[in-house]
Order: sequence, then C-alpha cells, then structure tokens
Amino acid sequence: MHKKIIRLTLGALLGMTLLNSCKKDPLNNLSNDESRIYITNYDTTASFSAYATFGIADSVDYIQDNQFVGRDRTTFDSTAVTVVAQMMQQRGYQQVAVKSNPDLAINVSRVYNTSTGVFSYNDYWDYYGGFYDPYYWGYPGYGYYAPYAVGVYSIQTGGLEIDLLDLKNAASNNNKIKALWTGLARGEQVFNSANAASQVNALFQQSPYLKK
Amino acid sequence: MSTMKYVLIAVTLLALGTAAQAQHDLQFNINYNVNIPSGSFRDFIDKPAYKGFTAGFAYPINDQLRVGLSAGYNDYYQKFPRQVYSEGSGSDISAVVSNSVQQIPILLTADYTLTKKGFVRPYVGVGAGVNFISLDQYLGEFDDPHTNGKLAVRGEAGILIPLSSWKATALRIGGSYNYAPYNSYGINNLSNWGIHAGISVPIH
Repeated sequence: MHKKIIRLTLGALLGMTLLNSCKKDPLNNLSNDESRIYITNYDTTASFSAYATFGIADSVDYIQDNQFVGRDRTTFDSTAVTVVAQMMQQRGYQQVAVKSNPDLAINVSRVYNTSTGVFSYNDYWDYYGGFYDPYYWGYPGYGYYAPYAVGVYSIQTGGLEIDLLDLKNAASNNNKIKALWTGLARGEQVFNSANAASQVNALFQQSPYLKK
Repeated sequence: MSTMKYVLIAVTLLALGTAAQAQHDLQFNINYNVNIPSGSFRDFIDKPAYKGFTAGFAYPINDQLRVGLSAGYNDYYQKFPRQVYSEGSGSDISAVVSNSVQQIPILLTADYTLTKKGFVRPYVGVGAGVNFISLDQYLGEFDDPHTNGKLAVRGEAGILIPLSSWKATALRIGGSYNYAPYNSYGINNLSNWGIHAGISVPIH
C-alpha cells in the first residue's frame, strides 16, 4: 500500500509538473506587432502650443549600454526621422534647419542595452550629453535634463527613442535643455524599416496634447 | 427458487462486507477542474481556466468522514487588445496586455458524505492550506513575474456515484469555491468558482 501511495503521489506530482510546463505561454500567442510597446512621457507643465518651430537631426544616434557608438542613417533611421518630421508638421509645427534657432529640437536614437538586462530611462538620460553634444543645437556649455522618468522594464532588445527638447527656454531654464516629450518603442522587429512609420505614428497618436 | 434466494442473500452479505471493508481503505482521488475567476480576480482575468486538476488522498475516519491532503493546479490566461494605459504624471503606455496566473493549492481536507449508502451519495468538504501563486503580466513581450505563497481555503459540495456495490471506487462530481487572498496589481484576491469531475479509488 505504501508503494502504491508513493507511486500515486509521484504520478500526481509528475502530472502537475507536466501541466505546468505546458501552461499557456503568452509569448507564443503574440504577433510581432503585438509584442511591441509604446511609452511616452511629457512634461505636464509644458505648454506645447507655445512653440512654433522644430529642428531634427537627420541621422540617428546608435547608443549601446549607455555608450555613444556612432551616428547612422539606415533605411529605418531615415524613415523614422522623416515620419517624425511629418508628424510634427501635421501637429502645426514648422520645420527649420538645425542651425536656425528652432524652438524645439528632436533627437532620434536607437538604444541597445544588453549588459544590465534592465532599461532605465534615467540611465539613458544621465549620459545624454555624451550622446548629443548641445553644441549641435547651438547651445555649447548647456546641460540636458528631464523633469520626469519612466519605469524600469526588462530589456533584451533595443528601443527606438525620440526626444523632444526645449531650446526656446534653455537659457531661462538655468542653461539646461529640458526634455518636453519622449517616446520609446520596444519589442520584436522594432528596427525593421517596414515598422518605422507605424511605430512613430503610434507614439504621436497616444500624445494628442503634442500640438501647436 | 429458494436456493437462488439463499445464494443472492449470501452474495449480498459478502458484497456488503467487502464494501464495508473497502470503505475503510485510504482513498486516492483525481479530478479534472474548470475554474471561473470571481471578485477582483475578474479585473485581471475573467476567462475560465480549462487547464486544471486536483489530486489527493483521503483517509476514512468512519463511514462518512474522511480527512486528507489535496494538491491542485489551475492555469488562467487572457490577452487584451492593444490599448493606451495612462500611468499618470504624463506617462502613457500602449500595449497588448497578457495576464497569466497559475495556482497550486496544497490543502488539508475533510469530506463528509451525507448518506452511508445509495446510488448517489452527496458530500460536502472543506480544505485549507497554502496556495502557491505564479502571476505574470506582460506588456507586449515584456513581463513582470511574481511568485507568492498565500492562504487557500476551499469549500466544496458534490456527489459520489459508486461504480459498484462491492467496491469503494466512485465517480466524483461537484463544485467548489476557492478563496485565495492576494494583493498586487490592485487585485485583492484570486478567488474562483470551480467545477470538477473525477474518480475516487481505494488503495489496498
């Protein structure tokens, strides 16, 4: 009888283990599109209608583990930059040359974090001056600062990051170039050029306040 | 005719004697379960869990009362279409959210059969113990897993249908309410209603 109890117990435990191993895996039930998430943050004190012009860097920064690797302009990069510019124009802002003192600056980045396994917006932002020299925007000696932070998310893949910066008030912000809006797209095939436009579009769609 | 009558009486007495003996054997039962979330659990997942089972041993104290140990497994899952979730302070996240919960309640149980004999024997039961919970929320492909051990309390009622008069093997059909407190994601419980069907067999 004891042997029978042991056999039945082991059988039940085995059954439970097998059932647990064949639990519905949510990842197997996601398309690439469904795997992607879009995170936006904005400065709730900002008045977006107070800005008229924007400039956008025509290349994309490639940032690996908080290190600036280089500037790039792949098909994905140029599509993302073009669509960001189009979306800003649709929202009533006028595009001007980078050196023409735009009210708003836009940086587009491809961010890869592989060493920590964790993506924290603060880490990215802490090194921001190393990725984007304020001189590029005509503000040498200025620093960057974001008045908000996003949460911490597990990451194994990269993310598309779009940052909207306040150049208009940089001097009155204690020589700080303040982030007004940031958008982050993450997930499967996030850097596939076929997905660039829809991802930028998604980030703007969930930010209706971002308009002239 | 009279010979046949004596034979029938003898067989009946023998069967009853065996049954009485069998009813004092340790019982093993295994059941298939379907569990339906209730309360604030429904805010996280409202679809039933079709992957579930319970298995346990029950030791007869007398013809009607049994005490034992039970282990169960339930797998809940639900995917929600893409939606923008506002996190406050200017933060918004657009994601397809998938919620996944597995519960493994390990309970001390007591069952009481309302009748000693009969083709259908109603029973009631209670159980209490530990609920091992694995809860995970996916935003797109990014998840935030939690594993906890919490209290579990079960009340159940059902019927036993003995498969023969001379063995204690019986079909077991019934329903249960599983109280499962929890505190995360704004959920204060993972309680659920369950229905089960299975078999109870004696171990000699």
